[in-house]
Amino acid sequence: MTEPLLAVRELAKSYGPRRALDAVSFTVRPGEVLGLIGPNGAGKTTLFECLAGVLPADAGEVRGPGGRPIPPAARNEAMFYVPDGIAPWPDQPVCRVLLFFRDLWGVPAERLSAVVDALKLRALLGSAVRSLSKGERKRFLIALGLLSPQPLLLLDEPFDGLDLRQTREATLILRDEAARGRTLFLSIHQLGDARRACDRFVLLAGGRVVGEGTLPRLREHAGITEGGMEEVFLALT
Amino acid sequence: MTGPLVGQAFITAVETYAEASGAGGGPAALAQGLSPLDGIVVPTLGAYALIATFLLPFVAIRLIATERESGAGKLLAQTRAGLPARLAAKAAVLLLGWLAAWLPGLLALLLWRFYGGHLDFGETANVFLGHLLHALVTIGIAVAAAAVCRSSASAAIVTLGFTVGAWALDFIAAGREGVIARLAPFTPEAALRTFEHGELRLAVLTILILASLAGFAFAGLWLDPFRPAPSRLARSLALVLLAVGCAALAASWRSGWDLAEDRRSSFPRADEALLRTIRQPVRVTAYLSPEDPRRTDLEINVLAKLRRVLPDFAVTYRTQSRTGLFETSEHYGEVWYAVGKRRDQLRSTIEPVVLSKIYELAGTAPPPAGADRSYPGYPLAAPPRGAALLFYLVWPLAAGLAFVLFRGRWRSSCGNLV
Repeated sequence: MTEPLLAVRELAKSYGPRRALDAVSFTVRPGEVLGLIGPNGAGKTTLFECLAGVLPADAGEVRGPGGRPIPPAARNEAMFYVPDGIAPWPDQPVCRVLLFFRDLWGVPAERLSAVVDALKLRALLGSAVRSLSKGERKRFLIALGLLSPQPLLLLDEPFDGLDLRQTREATLILRDEAARGRTLFLSIHQLGDARRACDRFVLLAGGRVVGEGTLPRLREHAGITEGGMEEVFLALT
Repeated sequence: MTGPLVGQAFITAVETYAEASGAGGGPAALAQGLSPLDGIVVPTLGAYALIATFLLPFVAIRLIATERESGAGKLLAQTRAGLPARLAAKAAVLLLGWLAAWLPGLLALLLWRFYGGHLDFGETANVFLGHLLHALVTIGIAVAAAAVCRSSASAAIVTLGFTVGAWALDFIAAGREGVIARLAPFTPEAALRTFEHGELRLAVLTILILASLAGFAFAGLWLDPFRPAPSRLARSLALVLLAVGCAALAASWRSGWDLAEDRRSSFPRADEALLRTIRQPVRVTAYLSPEDPRRTDLEINVLAKLRRVLPDFAVTYRTQSRTGLFETSEHYGEVWYAVGKRRDQLRSTIEPVVLSKIYELAGTAPPPAGADRSYPGYPLAAPPRGAALLFYLVWPLAAGLAFVLFRGRWRSSCGNLV
């Protein structure tokens, strides 16, 4: 069995009396596309933010390869998290933000160009970020994620706002990224999208992990012999 | 916006100065009373105090809050650019912006020189320094508020609460004693006045820099995503205590420099040299209430100057009321001077009278009449030619044009870069 890229143990987070994450544990394997599935309010975004270190967790730890603990301040070496619904530097044109990250991370010009073309952003380069539609903004955010150099990329709802064709294209782009050796952890609420894009799944409900594994494994865990993600989801959450 | 504001202040100042200098056939004021520091530099640059209080905080808040509200802050928090580096970059940008905003002020002073006006470098640079520190404190407060508050609007309210509150404190402290009176000299407005008066006080300089740094440190604590709330609160409290402690220590420092060309905050040089040799403790006990104008005269003309030069000097005020109108004490109006064990009283608040009393008590002969050059004054009855055109038309047009050109070039350059 391959050594996990990331092992999350007993991660917990509360907002006042409300427990958003309750002893969350799972592993992320290198090169896989892992899907985080859960109903609204399950704690998916909180989990991503605690993992990335942009929100302090109350308890738990994250370990990297070799079991080495990764403190929150050092998570930016291991992963990059792209939140959902943000419009970073809204007054700036798309190209300025892309160039900023290119310079920040030393991305080669041809890589930036390839990402811009793959996500069909070239026509939007001069547009202010605030003027982008929901789908355009999502493609722009995925581009920011693809430019980042960390081995693990966390994308919160990468297909939200995309139409069917764009979703399929984005899925292919993300699968390509995984084929390049990068590990992806995607929070997805559309189960069909999740099934198409991901190798394995972590099911989160009420702040707890209720299942982890491939679809057959989850089916087994749920005690059902047939059915897709929907049936597993309903059985486990 | 700075151009018209500074221009309006400059035009009014030049016209008033010209009138006082005898323009239009009116009687001219005594030449010695015509100082470009009071007549031109302070009123012209005074526009910057308004801008620093009511405009600059919003620029600083925007710089911090936009990143938080747009989600850019979460992206940046995951990059190698650490929070201190990012805050330092923002401080540098704000500072550069503020220095760029000085252009109209510098242009106004250049115009003044062009009219044939006089400027003293030391006192003028000191006023600029005062405005720089005033702006830095405002920026520090605004950045801290933007880091703590969840929205830009709340941050703006908090910042204005501080700046307008400091104004109120400055106002309330007039004619009062106690903690408020001790705090008041260090409010941004009161501190700026010392620079405008030609003084560079070490205590004021240190406290303003401390306040600004504390604001940025506070912002650093609250923008740090890795820090849990209890740790953030504990460190914030420690930071406030540390800053207050350092400020309290700095407030006791008496060192300072009188950079005004007319040396308005100093005794003649010969007197200062002699006073510095008095090693015995000098104590002053004044029976004057806070609102008594004689107390103000005594403070400005004598005590403030003595504080800077005497090695061991302390003042005590003994009064029953604020106004002094209904004081019944037979001592009211007296000022007692003690040098070592010898003491005597005076009712005069005039500088030479007080000095000779101190020399008498110290057993020292007064110095011979000094060779200090008397301030000549610089009357100039020149109208503000071309100022209205420059500040009301050329400057706004140039600023607008620069904005359009810069923005257009910035956007068009993007397409070729990718």
